Amino acid sequence: MQVPLTTVDMRIVEKHRAALHRGFHVWPTLAFDRPPAMGDARWTADLILATWYQAETGRPPDNGLEYRVGASGGGFDVLDFKFLPKEKWLPEDEPIDTSIPLNRRPYDRRIEIPVPWYGAGMSFGSVSEQIMLARAKAAQMWRTFTCTGEGGYPDSLTPYKDHVITQIATGMFGVREETILRAPIVEFKYAQGAKPGLGGHLLGDKATVAVAKMRESVPWVSLFSPFPFHSVYSVEDHKKHIDWVKAIHPEALISVKVSTPTDIDMVAVGSYYAGAHIIHIDGGYGGTGAAPEIAKKNIAMPIELALPKVHRFLIQEGIRDEVVLMASGGIRTAYDIAKAIALGADGVVLGTTELVALGCTRCSNCERGRGCPFGLTTTDPELSELVDPDWGAERLSRLYASFQLQLRDILRRLGLRSVRELRGRTDLLVYRKT
Amino acid sequence: MTVQSGYHRYHIETRFTPDLIPPPPRFRVRVRKLRLIGLVLKELIEFRGHVRVALSRPCVYGVFSRPVGGLAPKEELCVGCLRCTVQYPEVVQICPNPERLRLGDSYLKPEYVDTILYEARTGRVPVRGAGYRGPFGGDGWDGMWTDMSEIVRPTRDGIHGREFISTAVDIGEKPSFLTFDAAGHPIGPTPRVLSIQVPFVLDVPPPGRRLRVLAEIFAEAARQLETLAILPVEVVVRFSLGGPHVMPLVRAETWPLLEKLPESPRIVALAGWDPDRYRALRARFPESLVAVRVPMDADLEPMVRTGVRVFHLTADYHGYAGRRFAIELIQQAHRQLVDMGLREEVTLIGSGGIVMAEHVPKAIICGLDAVALDTALWVALQARFDGECVEPAPAAVTFPRLKTAWGVQRLKNLVNAWRDQLLEVLGAMGLREVRRLRGEVGRCMFQRDLEREAFAGIEGFGE
Ligand code: SF4
Repeated sequence: MQVPLTTVDMRIVEKHRAALHRGFHVWPTLAFDRPPAMGDARWTADLILATWYQAETGRPPDNGLEYRVGASGGGFDVLDFKFLPKEKWLPEDEPIDTSIPLNRRPYDRRIEIPVPWYGAGMSFGSVSEQIMLARAKAAQMWRTFTCTGEGGYPDSLTPYKDHVITQIATGMFGVREETILRAPIVEFKYAQGAKPGLGGHLLGDKATVAVAKMRESVPWVSLFSPFPFHSVYSVEDHKKHIDWVKAIHPEALISVKVSTPTDIDMVAVGSYYAGAHIIHIDGGYGGTGAAPEIAKKNIAMPIELALPKVHRFLIQEGIRDEVVLMASGGIRTAYDIAKAIALGADGVVLGTTELVALGCTRCSNCERGRGCPFGLTTTDPELSELVDPDWGAERLSRLYASFQLQLRDILRRLGLRSVRELRGRTDLLVYRKT
Repeated sequence: MTVQSGYHRYHIETRFTPDLIPPPPRFRVRVRKLRLIGLVLKELIEFRGHVRVALSRPCVYGVFSRPVGGLAPKEELCVGCLRCTVQYPEVVQICPNPERLRLGDSYLKPEYVDTILYEARTGRVPVRGAGYRGPFGGDGWDGMWTDMSEIVRPTRDGIHGREFISTAVDIGEKPSFLTFDAAGHPIGPTPRVLSIQVPFVLDVPPPGRRLRVLAEIFAEAARQLETLAILPVEVVVRFSLGGPHVMPLVRAETWPLLEKLPESPRIVALAGWDPDRYRALRARFPESLVAVRVPMDADLEPMVRTGVRVFHLTADYHGYAGRRFAIELIQQAHRQLVDMGLREEVTLIGSGGIVMAEHVPKAIICGLDAVALDTALWVALQARFDGECVEPAPAAVTFPRLKTAWGVQRLKNLVNAWRDQLLEVLGAMGLREVRRLRGEVGRCMFQRDLEREAFAGIEGFGE
């Protein structure tokens, strides 16, 4: 049973929360002193600290921290933009549009978001309710979206329902008619980049009483989301799924989240014909939850390689302008966002980046012991109190502000007035492998 | 009525089997002790009357636990989460432990050693959070991704037990067709195969002080895993290690020892290609399968024409033969057999550079039927590499003092963890048996091909 925190426990939490906040502030300002054990090839110490900096200030760092690329030696990290000579840049006061539509079909509801991103699905159970709330509040502030993941829809999110995507995944956890009715967008998760083809797994320790209640399961028992949807063996079955949601909630837009197999282009076209408004492809290098190591690196392709393939195939099929292509799985920076769009996406979906903004050090110990020691991917009552939803929402909001600022700057230097003009412009990219 | 089918569902018994020697901690926890004392005093004053609050420490893994907390941190418990240093940058610093760089070598990297030790300890699939941390792609196995299918794949259930995914492979001679005489009796070659339950065999252990116990461990582990241990014939004879799960390996110098084998092996291997010895071996053991162990870049055609149907292709421990990496060489061998129209008749076992679980499905996709494991097994038994471990002779490794039962369990754990990961990969593809993966390059993606397709036309690419 979960026991409510005592006053002493709360004082302990407060002490650590204050010290952590100070640390998030101090570290990125120590320009030449990185924590020696921080970072990896994809998320270098610089990228982590730069994200903390942006989450605090709302702008990119100017103290030497590298905030644009990591050190993975490929993909986004070897791509750059061919900026115009300075005299050809758009003037500073020229308005630059960063909005994108989430429905390109000639029918159904129009939804537009002012920035080309929304938040990825992270389930209740894999992250705390505080984190879900922080993300929902930020989504509301920015008139974009966050996503429930597959663990159900906590009531505390209801005030933000116009900015919450409901996810339906193979486990069907917490899927109820009223949560579908609440959602402007319903996302079918067929697969996820972090563990393509492997379904999901919530360890028993994280299936607390509240989590189990939400998922209509038994507390402290591990939960598996099978792979794949056992009711879907063809595009026609997939269409049946979509029809089912549309029958319940005709107003909802439908997103289909898939991973990146070799035939991802065909999958995307199939989803389009089944009626999806958004095709969300999740590359193999992202993921916030725990996954077998073998799956993270070895199964399915990185998003950088999948995007041009899908984008070009949709063009060949003559349907590119009827569907929204969202990309996720390793989008870390404003530059990654712009590069993903140049490679063919309409917009991107942010997961790990948001957790880093909230204090994640990418230590990968999410599933160990009591869960994330920073209170992010945990349901431990004491640890999850380390993140106050309002504080979290502010940090996310400032990160978004920094990303928008940089995105506008990139577009200005490319001579583009709208992010929509950047889509598929691989001619504006340059490959710099050292 | 009970039906005695003799069938049993393959299962590997795993058991937690701790390391004999604790590996060096992953991190060094450097505490500035005076500052720590100052911090504690400050917090005792600040939280007067609330000792629990004042003394509560950031580490949730017990690194700063009793008796003296941060004055003697328990480094072995540190998982590198960095919470302590984020909270108290002036007091504590976490550094990667330089000692760990000495684990493994330039190919079998320290992080691989960590993974193998975890697998050998627990028998479980390594699971971690927060996405992938490594380079984008790379040379060798890292430049390859396996495929998956979004829908239509019920075999995923196999991983959770409802449906069966087979990891069994057949080793032997599999003629494409049978011929019969007028009386209807088969004439000419008939199928002769042995099945192993996992597509891994255990390759020759390194010579040295621990050879006897290593050979015993390998032979017993192979028996319990229902696979094969390849052991030099002199080792088999000297330590009396026969049995159906031992595959003696004979060289020219050890040829006379064949006389002393306690029994006819189910399968015997000849090191190097020598047509006369090959024929002699077949004649001596007419009931046995005979494999030929040759470098991975060898031309198989003359051997196949002579009748060889089982090959063990070897690369060095870093996966190279004649300066080319295993991926290319395995595909070359596989294609050569396909072109000869004989692929289905021949078994290809391969070894060298297969040191992580993911290398197994990748090597099979390239064209192997099964892999022979070498250095990964040694690491599971806590071997330390003395410099680069590239060539079999002399293999630069040192083992601790080993006990057979401990070693057998460690190898069983490792093989189980690798088999489970193979099931994950097969399940993601929707394959019901590993046999169907062999040579299926359509079920993988090569970085160079994908990049060519994705980045074509981008300035600077391909220059
Ligand atoms: S890095 Fe994390 S695990 Fe290591 S001592 Fe600090 S708080 Fe504990």
